[in-house]
Amino acid sequence: MARVSVAWSNLMHERTRLVVAIAGVAFAVILIFMNLGFMGALISTATNFYEQFNAELFLISPETLEISTSTAFPRERLYQVAGVDGVERIMPLYSEYLLWRNPETGVSRAIFVYGINPNDPVFLMPELQGNEARRILSRPDTTFIDRLSRPEFGPQEVGTTTEADRRRIIIGGSYALGGGFAADGTLIMSDQNFVRYLEPRPLSLVNVGLVKLNPGASPEKVASTMRSLLPADVSVYTKAGIIENDSTYWLEATSIGFIFSMGVAVSFVVGAVIVYQILFTDIRDHLPEYATMKAMGYRSQYLFKIVLQEAIFLAVLGYIPGLAAALGLYHLTAKATAGTLPVAMNGGRVMFVLILTLLMCSLSGLISVRKAVTADPAEIF
Amino acid sequence: MLKRIPLAWLNLTHDRRRFATSLAGVGFAVLLMFMFNGFMNALYDSQLQLLNRFNGEIVIVNRLRTNMFVPRAFARRRLYQARAFEGVQDAYAMYISEVNWKNPENRKSRVVRVIAINPDEPVLNIPAIASHRQALKLPETALMDTQSRAEVGPIETGVVSELADRRIRLVGTFTMGTDFASGNGNLIMSDQNFLRYFADRGPEEDKRSFATVDIGVVKLSPGTNVERMVKTLRDTLPNDVLVMARDGENGFVIRERKYWQENTNIGFVFSLLTSMGFFVGIILVYQILYTDVADHWAEYATLKAMGYKNGYLLGVVMQEALILSVLGFIPGVLVSQLLYTAAGNATGLFFQMTAERVTNLLLATFIMCLVSGAIAVRKVQTTDPADVF
Repeated sequence: MARVSVAWSNLMHERTRLVVAIAGVAFAVILIFMNLGFMGALISTATNFYEQFNAELFLISPETLEISTSTAFPRERLYQVAGVDGVERIMPLYSEYLLWRNPETGVSRAIFVYGINPNDPVFLMPELQGNEARRILSRPDTTFIDRLSRPEFGPQEVGTTTEADRRRIIIGGSYALGGGFAADGTLIMSDQNFVRYLEPRPLSLVNVGLVKLNPGASPEKVASTMRSLLPADVSVYTKAGIIENDSTYWLEATSIGFIFSMGVAVSFVVGAVIVYQILFTDIRDHLPEYATMKAMGYRSQYLFKIVLQEAIFLAVLGYIPGLAAALGLYHLTAKATAGTLPVAMNGGRVMFVLILTLLMCSLSGLISVRKAVTADPAEIF
Repeated sequence: MLKRIPLAWLNLTHDRRRFATSLAGVGFAVLLMFMFNGFMNALYDSQLQLLNRFNGEIVIVNRLRTNMFVPRAFARRRLYQARAFEGVQDAYAMYISEVNWKNPENRKSRVVRVIAINPDEPVLNIPAIASHRQALKLPETALMDTQSRAEVGPIETGVVSELADRRIRLVGTFTMGTDFASGNGNLIMSDQNFLRYFADRGPEEDKRSFATVDIGVVKLSPGTNVERMVKTLRDTLPNDVLVMARDGENGFVIRERKYWQENTNIGFVFSLLTSMGFFVGIILVYQILYTDVADHWAEYATLKAMGYKNGYLLGVVMQEALILSVLGFIPGVLVSQLLYTAAGNATGLFFQMTAERVTNLLLATFIMCLVSGAIAVRKVQTTDPADVF
């Protein structure tokens, strides 16, 4: 108890400096949170559409790096696993880019198209459920459009008629899905329409095979059965597995992982420098006192503990406003980018940054304490 | 006047070790700003590397190609039409396609961008093309970008692998860098080889031929007015193509940069991080100056008692701030340069430090130090000499 009060009093003795020190730690914490937040948001935009896929298992070609650059594989592979125990339904999903013309400006832009069998419940969006949606999807030259598509694609009202790859197309409805990294917008249409627009693509080649399992079936177990049945030209993923696969691809391909990890590392070092400066000045100011303590018989270990405690106080005191400010900035960011960058806090990150902050402060404490530990009482006076 | 400068200088340097720590502090703040600013610029600059190597003043593209990502080609005869104009020295065709490259070591396929040109024409300002002209004319050969991502495997002359499921041999390398549209790297090959790989890739792929061109690069005779030629070509060529100057305010390069600025959150993310680096810098420098002021507390009070005005004390602290900003900036820039090189090698992105960017950040560092100085000096100004002793 006595120890704590020494460390505490040392810090509190000069209020302004304490406030600045806390602000320094807090800023380092904010920087780390922002870097992690941006990275997390980018990755989640790249993969969160998978949550709307109504399937537990995904079949893709081993050449497919992520969904938008997929290589198609033979549809027979899906039929081969349709009879596996636990499989309720197999659903082929076709995907490709198509040029969509903004009917107002006349400018065309690439949009990502999903082709589905209208009788398959491929997506979970409420707008695509029911007989009415099925009927609309089955109409020729008709598509559903993603409301989260960029505004450059133009109006999205039902009945809007425009062109897609020089062919007339009518908007029959809309839904909210999001295109991830690779697509500015998405369309969902029937497989028959898909073939119309993306000729010469055949329906016998599938981009993603979706497998819906019976309630209670274990996705891992069914997946391993499928892997033993299927040849090497197709890979089987669980939903978590395919999200992981896509995230890893985007982290590497866009250098996002590198950029933001480096941001975290440099912020960490800067935070350590700030704390070091504070602690070092503090030790220098109290050198006579530390020396006196040593002369009185206190061990170096004791001084060591005091400085470490100061470091931990700084870490905690800086972390709390840092976390609060980061939450505020997350909110502002999400608002300023109109939802295209959904930064959100999660428990893992809160813990991770706390540990990082403690580490950062302790490290500076250990470096700065050397001077006090090596102090020879005889030299000070 | 002379007397003033040594005071600030001596205040800072009398404790050498702390002076070094202070400089390191400012240096780190500078590094932080350089890093985030550098990432932003690298992401933008990288998109323009290929464009900046076009050997021509005017670019012709399909009207629908609003950025390099859109795979829309135009009729090659537009280039022949352009050649008819006086002032046009030549009009070159460039064919671009993305396709799988097989890493010869782990046999995994990765998408790369293939840029095809006639090797006898100077379409791109890349010296390796001319020096490997004969080798490029051989069937199934290509040059690979040394800045391609590590996923493509070894990048050296003699590597034999598969491109679009067909054999390919690297006959040399060049240095450019990756961008969002290039996937994992760039290959350059002859137009003849382009046909070998892309003329017929199967029923589900587009069939490429010389009839359509992705990018047209128009080289003008020396002395031709670019603006006027752009206008002439625009007025005479049909509406299916877009004619733009390569450089300039309304040029092709700027348009591409604008596309990425407007369509991604890159600017927002990194401007925010850079400005936070700025605030961290203010805190760092404030700490340094404040400690200094606190240490020389009694001396400052004495100076005041002797009749020096607040303005003088403010001047001393501001001088210290300026000295710190300049001296701290130098190690900051040097370390940032190393960081840029390392990051460029690790990501294949194009990190460059231009004089303008360095000047801007030096200015930011000045302001950062001045703000900290202004906050730190308040304590001295309110000092009552009588209180100190």
